[in-house]
Amino acid sequence: MFLRAPLWLKVNMLVFDELKKNEPHLRLVAAMLLAGLFILLAGLWWVQVVSSRDYQSHLETQSYRTVRLPAARGKILDREGRVLAENHPSYDLSIYLDDLHEQFDAAYGRLLRAARAAQKQNLARAEKQLGRPLTKLERRAFAFSSRQIQDLRDRARLDVVGSVVADVGQKIGQPLTLDPTVFQRHYATRLALPFPILENLDEQQVARFEENYSGNLGAELELEPARYYPYTNTASHVLGYLRRDDRSYEGEESSFSYRLPDYRGVVGIEGGYDAQLRGRAGAESVLVNNLGYRQSDNVWSQPEPGENVMLTINIDLQQAAEESLLKHQGPDARGAIVVIDVRNGDVLALVSEPSVDPNCFITGFSPQQLAWMNDPKLRPQINRATQQNYAPGSIFKPIVALACLQNGLNPNTLVDNPGYVYVGRRRVRDLATPGKYDLKLAIMHSSNTYFITVGMQAGIDAIIRMAQKFHFGERTGLRTRQETSGILPTLDQVSHGWTDGDTANLCIGQGDLSVTPMQMAMAYAALANGGTVFWPRLVARIEPQDKNGPGKATEFPAGLVRDHIGASVHNIQLLHNAMLAETEEGTGQAAQVPGLRICGKTGTAQVMDEHNREIGVTTWFASFAPYEHPRYAVVVMVEGGTYGGTTCAPIAHDIYQEIMREETVTATNVLATAN
Amino acid sequence: MDNLFTNERKETFDKLQLAALVGLMIIGAAFVFSATMVSPAETEKAWFAQVWFRQVIWYVLGLGAGAAVCLVDYHTLARWSFVVYWVMIICLVAVLVPFIGKTHGWGARRWIDLPFFQFQPSEFAKLAFILAGANFLSRPPDELWQPRVFWQGIGLMLLPFVLILKEPDLGSALVLLPTGLVMMVVAGTPRRYLLKLAGIVGLLAALFIADIVFLPARWQVPMEQYQRNRLLIYFGRDYTDFAPPNATKAELQSLRQRQWDDAYNVRQALISVGSGGLFGKGWRQGTQNALGYLPRAVAHNDFIFSVIAEEEGFVGSAIILALYAVVLFTGLRIAGRARDRLGKLVAVGVVMLIFSHVFINIGMNIRIMPVTGVPLPLLSYGGSSVLCSLIAVGLMQNIHIHRRGY
Repeated sequence: MFLRAPLWLKVNMLVFDELKKNEPHLRLVAAMLLAGLFILLAGLWWVQVVSSRDYQSHLETQSYRTVRLPAARGKILDREGRVLAENHPSYDLSIYLDDLHEQFDAAYGRLLRAARAAQKQNLARAEKQLGRPLTKLERRAFAFSSRQIQDLRDRARLDVVGSVVADVGQKIGQPLTLDPTVFQRHYATRLALPFPILENLDEQQVARFEENYSGNLGAELELEPARYYPYTNTASHVLGYLRRDDRSYEGEESSFSYRLPDYRGVVGIEGGYDAQLRGRAGAESVLVNNLGYRQSDNVWSQPEPGENVMLTINIDLQQAAEESLLKHQGPDARGAIVVIDVRNGDVLALVSEPSVDPNCFITGFSPQQLAWMNDPKLRPQINRATQQNYAPGSIFKPIVALACLQNGLNPNTLVDNPGYVYVGRRRVRDLATPGKYDLKLAIMHSSNTYFITVGMQAGIDAIIRMAQKFHFGERTGLRTRQETSGILPTLDQVSHGWTDGDTANLCIGQGDLSVTPMQMAMAYAALANGGTVFWPRLVARIEPQDKNGPGKATEFPAGLVRDHIGASVHNIQLLHNAMLAETEEGTGQAAQVPGLRICGKTGTAQVMDEHNREIGVTTWFASFAPYEHPRYAVVVMVEGGTYGGTTCAPIAHDIYQEIMREETVTATNVLATAN
Repeated sequence: MDNLFTNERKETFDKLQLAALVGLMIIGAAFVFSATMVSPAETEKAWFAQVWFRQVIWYVLGLGAGAAVCLVDYHTLARWSFVVYWVMIICLVAVLVPFIGKTHGWGARRWIDLPFFQFQPSEFAKLAFILAGANFLSRPPDELWQPRVFWQGIGLMLLPFVLILKEPDLGSALVLLPTGLVMMVVAGTPRRYLLKLAGIVGLLAALFIADIVFLPARWQVPMEQYQRNRLLIYFGRDYTDFAPPNATKAELQSLRQRQWDDAYNVRQALISVGSGGLFGKGWRQGTQNALGYLPRAVAHNDFIFSVIAEEEGFVGSAIILALYAVVLFTGLRIAGRARDRLGKLVAVGVVMLIFSHVFINIGMNIRIMPVTGVPLPLLSYGGSSVLCSLIAVGLMQNIHIHRRGY
């Protein structure tokens, strides 16, 4: 009958009953008990209800470790979807220390017993020497200090892990040794994570391991994605490279106990589109026990894979261009090639040599490679197509010519060239043979006299205005973090302290003027297409790695117009004709390809040091083709060549040949599918 | 409502108290199971060798002992109480002798190893003290006015107190004080003696604590370093305050580290209790214990309450307190209805003993009491503790059976 009433009611009645007893002593005891129990209840309420959140967070900080999981990086593809950068699986061997925990204890036990036995002998020897049992105080000297105990534990762990490592090494046929300091550091700082013992196993080693070692001793294979560039050096400047960087990015969870290796793009597409390629790192929480060993894990935020970036680059053309440059100039070639689709500004090839294999930034460099990378003359990390200023020399003359034509120059006016020209009192040499030159002849033979004469007549303002329409002196807006703007004086600058000599220099592409091969290619593309200056397009689209996933692709439209030159069709046609003559009859003949009419202009610009002494030349060949309906602009630049016509034109020839080959293949394919 | 209590005349046992005891024992077995079945060393044992099962066996033995106690009228027991008392005193002396008393690696000599069980005399000494004390104090109240009787009573309490303190086992010694004092109060010791006594005890305690907490090391009363450390931690003092003035940075650092290490149990117990929240994480779901943060050696005995509180939350803690409240207040009811002063004093003594254990043990889990090795009656694992608790309850039931008007 008692038991049927609810417990609390019974307790209440019981307590009440005792409190109203008429025996004062028992009443006092009852009050005391009640007070004591109430204090405990209040304390428990405070700890378990009021401040429970504090203690829960204490619990989390002491028993959870969060691990940053990098996302799978997006691929970089060429315009036809061929893979330029991807992740390939890298097999790493790791030891799970939590599995060895009991072995550590066992080994420690053995060591301790041995040490105790040794100490006992020492003790016995000491007693023998003294001839009496030692006092308590004297015995204390023979006890183990906590430092010694710690050393024993360290040694036990090293022994166990060392033998596992040696065992694994034997099984996979590669002798492995354990570096004690590396292991101790891992044990002290990253205990909850597996301890890596060998990275990047080859297939044979993986097979041997799988055969001989069915994961019963703590060692396991782990699959890590590693960035891989299948074309090695090809387009390496465009692609850029990665650097090890495990930090969190804006908007990401940032308080991690551990971070798995992650990489960040530094320059090129990897750098400029890092945010899209990288994706979003996930997080895993690892529950650890009081000794710090992993107990269980739980991925609470899955990494979101990065997106693929599809380039406008045609990797075949890129490869052909690089091969040609290296073939003509040798392995230490310093040059750049830019191929643009003149109809829409797509960058089809963007070459800079010398180049570094981007794979090496992941796997590491040899000392020789490092020395080579820092060579002050080669400077392989510079993207010469976009990142370096060069004097354009004669390839700037068509722009000067267009400025003059628009300013009313009669292309048929003859200018007498005595072999030199005076600008003020300075005598400028003209390499073109003396004689009378009209526009076409002047472009064909690159007559300095002609261009200085007509350029001075048109005036510096007209030339600057024309160059500004082509957007010289401004960046082309590639997001590769490798761009310089070049140099073009402003109208303001030429109105103060500007001399005729400066104007003369500018007319022949020298002096206070610098361009990048990329700017030159965009300018020639504009000349080729009748006067539309496009923004160059290097990235065609960004698409999710999982095509069936929820993500949407971003298209970057082709043919984004930057400016119109506003030159008359007639004037542009005059230039086309003159540049055609240059490759067919003039200095650029080495570029010729049967079946393709190429308009081009050679250039050989002097490179001056700070004392205005010539220290070398920059050779150029800037061109577009076909003459009838221009589609491609090709600009070749070589540092330290001889003449544009002999150094660069043959390279352009190779590129046009590849273009022809590809067009034939495409045409055949189209015909084949049509049939 | 009243008839609930009036018709109990027909009953022999106090069933409500027994129900609460059974509840505590079931909870005890369940959480000793939860606290110990986390290490492979334990789970791989045969079921009958596992700790929880041993605890169940102790419950059975304890219930048997408790029932046996009920068979004999408590007056007969009381007549033998001084024999038991002096036997226990001899045991307490014996335990201090290195070859008889065993430390079990704890630094304190508290156990005598018998073939089947590790006998902890201090547990049984508490019971013997209650019986002997009650027998002594049950004399007519007038005699209690004599100073000689008063001081004899005090001596009866201080003898086991000092011996247990010497083991050292501060917690077990401390529970004797409230038990003895309350028994004296209930016996009717004159107020002026009691006030004097309370004054002296209070002053001594204050001096003792002030000495430990504030004075430099060489001025302090001799006691084990770990005990001092527990008190320092409880009173929130830094070890570094006691460092010699010329201590190097490394020494200070190591002192701080030692303090952090020494406070480990308290910190982990608090985290366990606090992280349980209102409803707890569920039976066997507590991570503090499973992951070994709560030291394995104490999780199932002195800190069993942390395990319960973590896994069952505030609700579970409140249920535990309610069950103890039932045991304590039924005990008081038994005291109130006892046939004579002897019965009343024994019942009050047992109630105070259980209450002191509960208060100190749960109090140390939530840091309102310093850490002392006091078991939680019936919940903590331990043969001596379980046996004593059940024998003590048997005494109360004995008094209930032989109560007034029965």
